[in-house]
Amino acid sequence: MKVFTKSLIFFSSGLLILTVLFRFSLSAMLQNQYFRSVWIIAALYGIMLFIIGWVFGKKDYQELPLYDIGFRFHFATYLICNLVAEIWYLLGYQSDYEKITVVHLTTLFWGIGIILHFIFFLITRKNAIKGMNKDDIFE
Amino acid sequence: MNKNNFFSELLFAWEETYKKGQLTLWIFLALSDGKKYVDEIKTFVEEQSNHTMTCESQSLYRNLRKYQHIGVVDYETGEGNKGPDRKYYYLTELGQSLLNSFLDRNIKLFFSEHIKHLINREG
Repeated sequence: MKVFTKSLIFFSSGLLILTVLFRFSLSAMLQNQYFRSVWIIAALYGIMLFIIGWVFGKKDYQELPLYDIGFRFHFATYLICNLVAEIWYLLGYQSDYEKITVVHLTTLFWGIGIILHFIFFLITRKNAIKGMNKDDIFE
Repeated sequence: MNKNNFFSELLFAWEETYKKGQLTLWIFLALSDGKKYVDEIKTFVEEQSNHTMTCESQSLYRNLRKYQHIGVVDYETGEGNKGPDRKYYYLTELGQSLLNSFLDRNIKLFFSEHIKHLINREG
């Protein structure tokens, strides 16, 4: 089964660019003490993330309705968002008002979410033939 | 609502439900008839079903990708008509066996004398 589909690669690339831009804007705004306006870029980032996930996820599903698309996209999001955040701190690009513990806690709690999603993924796998939901194969 | 409208509405509602799930059978029958590219499959399905079944090329491609993924259909490329190469789809051995079993279990029932008699009975 193809894990890295074209849509997933496009999504991951878009996500990586958006996450770097978000991290850069966030740190810059906090450093300049624009505390009240920070939510705007966070909301924009969230909306853009949702849009590209929706577009490429749908495209992937239309190409081949594999049951694990949701998990693959979720896992890619988890990896990219958290890796970018960790590397950001590792390189010392964060503002004076950001703490590394927040990043670690996000990785931890989101990681629990990923594990739960993975369990759900394993359960639904029983209802699939060659990665496709039985109900989706024949029309 | 007059009686004719009511009858038509009931018939269409039943047909809508009945047609669900039939596209696979028509595609398999088309490919059982020989290797075909998507436009030929579309023509086969529409003509042989007396235009009671319609299908978009996009929908056919999507279905064929799924069937290829599970190994019941495959394709080989052949020359197109003045254009790019075409994909000629065909049923694999597994696909042909699947179609035969499906026909035996679900379609050939209608060919029993008793059922044929019931279908042909009028009024």
